[in-house]
Amino acid sequence: MKRIMMATLAMVFAFTAFAADKVTVTHWYWADNPKYSATMQQMAADFNATNGKGITVVAQEYPWDGGAYSETLFRAVMGGGGPDTSSFKLTSTPLFTANNLLVNLDSHLNSWKDKSLIEASLYDTMRQASGTKSVYVMPWNTQVLYVYYRPSLMKKAGIGVPKTYAEFLEAAKKLTMDSNGDGKTDVYGFGMRGAKGGQEPWGSFIWARGGNFEKMDSPQAIQGMQDYVDLFKNGYAPPTAPMDGFQEIIANFKSGKTAMTVHHIGSSAGMIETFGDDVDAFPFPGGVGKWTSMGDTENVMLKSAKNKDAAFEWLAYLATGKGQETWCTVTGNVPVSKTVKELPFFQSNRFMKVSIEGAPWAGILPILDTTTEWINNIWPNTVSAALLGKISAAEAMKKLQAGLWD
Amino acid sequence: MIKRNSSIWPYLLVAPALIVVLTVVFIPVINAILMSFQNYDLRRPGRIGFNDFKNYVDVIRDPLFWSALWKTIVWVVAGVGLQFVFGFILALLLNKKFPGRGVVRSLSLIPWVTPGVLIGLMWRWIFDGNYGVLNDLLLRLGLIQESLPFLAREASAFPAVILTIVWQGIPFFALMLLAGLQGIPEELYNAADVDGANGIQKFFLVTVPSLKSVIYVTTLLRIIWVANSVDVIFNLTEGGPAYATQTLSVYIFNKGNSLNLGYAATLSIMLTLVLATVAVRYLKTMFRNQEGKA
Repeated sequence: MKRIMMATLAMVFAFTAFAADKVTVTHWYWADNPKYSATMQQMAADFNATNGKGITVVAQEYPWDGGAYSETLFRAVMGGGGPDTSSFKLTSTPLFTANNLLVNLDSHLNSWKDKSLIEASLYDTMRQASGTKSVYVMPWNTQVLYVYYRPSLMKKAGIGVPKTYAEFLEAAKKLTMDSNGDGKTDVYGFGMRGAKGGQEPWGSFIWARGGNFEKMDSPQAIQGMQDYVDLFKNGYAPPTAPMDGFQEIIANFKSGKTAMTVHHIGSSAGMIETFGDDVDAFPFPGGVGKWTSMGDTENVMLKSAKNKDAAFEWLAYLATGKGQETWCTVTGNVPVSKTVKELPFFQSNRFMKVSIEGAPWAGILPILDTTTEWINNIWPNTVSAALLGKISAAEAMKKLQAGLWD
Repeated sequence: MIKRNSSIWPYLLVAPALIVVLTVVFIPVINAILMSFQNYDLRRPGRIGFNDFKNYVDVIRDPLFWSALWKTIVWVVAGVGLQFVFGFILALLLNKKFPGRGVVRSLSLIPWVTPGVLIGLMWRWIFDGNYGVLNDLLLRLGLIQESLPFLAREASAFPAVILTIVWQGIPFFALMLLAGLQGIPEELYNAADVDGANGIQKFFLVTVPSLKSVIYVTTLLRIIWVANSVDVIFNLTEGGPAYATQTLSVYIFNKGNSLNLGYAATLSIMLTLVLATVAVRYLKTMFRNQEGKA
């Protein structure tokens, strides 16, 4: 009997010691399509098989939901739950740091051998977003917005790729066509995004006229807004534009309903699948000023992470390891790792080239504690009011200025 | 044998239910009331604290509150009103004997048992201005010449969401009224026949008065549910375009989602007050009618 008890105890100790070596990191992410979803699961499996430190990453997917992902994550963490690490958007940084929910990554970064593989300027952007001198957000990948277009439609309209903002507005007009001669428009020049997320392409119009986000009620910014409204009012954008979001602008472009639309390289694989060579891209052209939105996706470690070293191993795998190469190759996003950027795939991709071309004037919206509400509620409702003629461009810009800065 | 203390025993029996109600209803309600007097914005945790009646003053001055309140009134009156009318018609039809009545009764419940989120997404595609089946149907029938962006125009977005909630709520009224119809004694109709009443007279003088209590209870329940409904509108339009479909409950949801919980709590209290006013008045009328009948 004594022997059996001893043997049982020995087994329990052995199991406990074995279990103690195993560390589980729960990671939350979103995926734009099933392929990206499968890729993230493959990456987690690859990391689990190769990290050699007994770390198991459990990747859990949550919907992006037009940006509501960040609020879902916030509520989960504030409620005492949530993951150890998560995919993240820079604009949410003030909310999370103000509530002391993120781990300061400085000490991990300082002892990390691959730190220099990421541009120092990116770390600066991360510091700036937190409003401190510390990095709380780990760079992962970026997406520079550009204009997708159909070369065959440009040829049909008898125009070339726009080089200036004025040419872009003219192209939107000329690409609006009645292609089957039934007296109705069936191709719209510009696939406008009036719902959530539309502030990114819209920003290019504001800057092209010499405006900026600091003073959105300036005459230049108002003129940019007027151009945006005119594209809709003159019928160069689909009548559904005030409520069109990401799915709608992509579906409209792929179905041939629109000839140009603004999105990033993340959509390129699907575009090539649909059109083959009859799709290309150009950077959003400048006028008086020049700006395009830099979409960004980062990863963070939450304060509640049980094993912070293990969590950082995973973040490092995503930022500069095999995870960086796999994710950016499949999604077409711009890598943050210098070595991955140098790989032939990224050097030869035509959409990557356009992304890199636009990078020098790519920027982000001011990161304030009002930004999330501005993006989710104020911008879509104010801009749709202007598009529908309920308020003027000047009134809309005044509201947008107050909503973001007051 | 244990001698039961008759004065304590009823309280002990009620206690479990009371504890549950206090925990899941009263504590959150008190918390919401307290929050409505605070600057409780999780985006600015450093500024959380009591601010007296500032939220209430801000709400009264907020044009979006008044616009959302007006939209809520239209949403409830049109939504519940049409649900009642069509629900009554359906109940009268289902009360008649015809082959396959059981199947029709079961099928008619589908909108009611479908989750609101799914209904929102489904009707969003039905109304879609580019690929929606409604546009396709209207075009094929020659009723329109070009697709209409139902959800992207102020004038059509609100009627579209009302149509959706009407579709969802008809089976509830039909089911409740059908149960009521089956409880009306046949003798009443026989007596009306003897008096020479025609169909319309029998409907207004026998059927409707007999269903009065059912009508009161079901409409009151639906008024409260529809006024509080967020899922259908949110999944159809999120309150847009240009706040055209933003009812009070959607406004509260949007504010709560923006983490301004103090302001969202204040809006919730205002909506509760409005609904409580309607409910009290409604119940008073109902009980007065019942007393009069007794």
